[in-house]
Amino acid sequence: MMEIDRADGRTPNQLRPLACSRNILHRAHGSASWSQGDTKVLAAVYGPKAGTKKNENPEKACIEVIWKPKTGQIGKLEKEYEMILKRTLQSICILTINPNTTTSVIVQVVHDDGALLTCAINAACAALVDAGIPIKHLAVAICCCLAEDGYVILDPTKLEEQKMKGFAFLVFPNSIHSVLPEGSLLVEGEPVEHGIITSVTHGLMSVEEYLKCLERGHAASAKLSDFLRRSLKLQLPSDSSKAK
Amino acid sequence: MDARLTNAWRMTVNEKKFIETALASDLRIDGRNPLEYRKITIKFGREDGSSEVQLGQTHVMGFVTSQLVQPYRDRPNEGSLSIFTEFSPMADPSFEPGRPGESAVELGRIIDRGLRESRAVDTESLCVLAGKLVWAIRIDLHILDNGGNLVDAANIAALVALLTFRRPECTLGGEDGQQVMVHPPEVKEPLPLIVHHLPIAVTFAFFNSEHTMVVDPTHNEEAVMGGRMTVTANTNGDICAIQKAGGEGVTQSDIMRCLRLASRNAESITKKINDAVETYNTERALRKIKRHSASVAVDVSISGGDVREPENKFFVHKGISELSRDQMERLNLVSEEKCTSQSSDINGGLSSSEQGRTSCQEGNATNFLGGPSSWDPYSKGVDSDSLKVSLASLGISAPDKHKRGEQKSTQAMEDKVPEDAKPATSATDTSRTGPQMSGEKTLKDAVKPKDKRRKRASSSMNAS
Repeated sequence: MMEIDRADGRTPNQLRPLACSRNILHRAHGSASWSQGDTKVLAAVYGPKAGTKKNENPEKACIEVIWKPKTGQIGKLEKEYEMILKRTLQSICILTINPNTTTSVIVQVVHDDGALLTCAINAACAALVDAGIPIKHLAVAICCCLAEDGYVILDPTKLEEQKMKGFAFLVFPNSIHSVLPEGSLLVEGEPVEHGIITSVTHGLMSVEEYLKCLERGHAASAKLSDFLRRSLKLQLPSDSSKAK
Repeated sequence: MDARLTNAWRMTVNEKKFIETALASDLRIDGRNPLEYRKITIKFGREDGSSEVQLGQTHVMGFVTSQLVQPYRDRPNEGSLSIFTEFSPMADPSFEPGRPGESAVELGRIIDRGLRESRAVDTESLCVLAGKLVWAIRIDLHILDNGGNLVDAANIAALVALLTFRRPECTLGGEDGQQVMVHPPEVKEPLPLIVHHLPIAVTFAFFNSEHTMVVDPTHNEEAVMGGRMTVTANTNGDICAIQKAGGEGVTQSDIMRCLRLASRNAESITKKINDAVETYNTERALRKIKRHSASVAVDVSISGGDVREPENKFFVHKGISELSRDQMERLNLVSEEKCTSQSSDINGGLSSSEQGRTSCQEGNATNFLGGPSSWDPYSKGVDSDSLKVSLASLGISAPDKHKRGEQKSTQAMEDKVPEDAKPATSATDTSRTGPQMSGEKTLKDAVKPKDKRRKRASSSMNAS
């Protein structure tokens, strides 16, 4: 296998250092910060508020996402990110538990050095857990890039993203550790974590290349979900008297 | 509609009475005395010009960016300064996204008056081509957490971001001297802004019932107060701005008292800001040395005892106190060049401040782990077992998951005490992500204990 020369010396399958911290804001019901290398995103969740937005289904809970870029006005790109995030989070939340309510997720970009959307999805997921919103399973996001020669690299930096032929943001459900017997968790004969929640691609790629991305991303998501599980587990609720 | 009313937060009558009664005996609910400021924490982001300020529970981030624009017609020689405040909905459930409300606009205006009209930032130095091109400085303030007294915190964030911001240097060229070339930071060192003085905002809250006054109100006190006043003062004894918009009336003697208190507080806050910026600048200078590794070096010694080797080998010693997470990250990302380190030089140069540390060459080593085979691995390798022993001896209990096949190290590696540094430098709310890294990565991890480089199962790597 040929070696690709990545600027910071990682192998193609190596992710940047991950860091996740929960409960960093005092007013928000749930908050988390997630950083992959230099890319850092802060997410805050305000728990179910009464009423849904105008066009939403009042028989289900509604999720509202607000994306705040680092500088500048909100434009189409931010709106697109909001929509992707909203649909991803809607599929992992159990929407029938609090009907006719709105849960707001606010995402603030602290620094963007590539793979911003994946960082945001991971941060939003951790913030939802911190807020105690009922969710079916966690979502882990990964970004796979396709180089000119068909080689797939994971978790690109901004410079790498600009040089690539195409890239794909993939969101998978996290791996399940369950006490239930194996068979009951399968969906159509496959374990749940083989599913894909979200996939957004940019650039041109062939079907085999996309499937290669999927397979790489899927393997990385197993590691990511271990990390997520560990970092979410270790924290004890430090401040139980949060002002709400 | 009804939904908005039900979601609005209102303080209960009991809480209000409690706060007021406590104030009557000069007690505040968070234990401060009425004229005491909360603890200020100033942190910096990755880039120049980004700051994060925490004033008690209030959390504000500031970013400064610059752009070349045409000047205003009535001021062709001056650059411009503009402030954008974002009351992010994450700070408070009552903040709505979209257009800034009146309190956001008021905050922006107070800070703006303090900076621009008192001429704290020198705008004439921002002129590139008179009448054609000037630098427009834009300050974005994001309020992340509303714990009360947003003005003061946002002001400090704006000042810190301005002091650490660097604008690119540009030169005039071309036949008629009209062409402007902007140099990227790698080519020419960007320049800091010229800031003449630091206007510090100090907010006072007045309570009708008790005729008392407190400094730096918290969110709860703001809900109870009858009026507020913000005084922007600097250490020279000047008053840059006063803002008292409505609220209950205050006697003249009280106002004079407030002005005196504001000057006093301004001095202590200015000192804190200057200390923080000083630390940042030192770290930045250290980083800068590493960036120019390929060029011929002059031995530069800075307070931390840095030594720079010529040509490919560069090597920096730092005391633990000077290392910061951000700096280490820069270090690792910046080291693109291949670096060969000589153990003899390292040992010779080992002047330990607190703890002798080999940083950048380790950083390089970690970066090049698993990298292209053309990189010349250092001849002496350390196998994972001995590394585990050394790690264990440093008191690490977590098992090391990540084994590296090839380990590059020097003798100096055994001198490292990265694990001791970890608790010292880690932020309290970051979670340890579990197993410690292998020896080569300990340096990076030493400074960033919560980071963890994920590596896919080695089997997949071997398979591919």
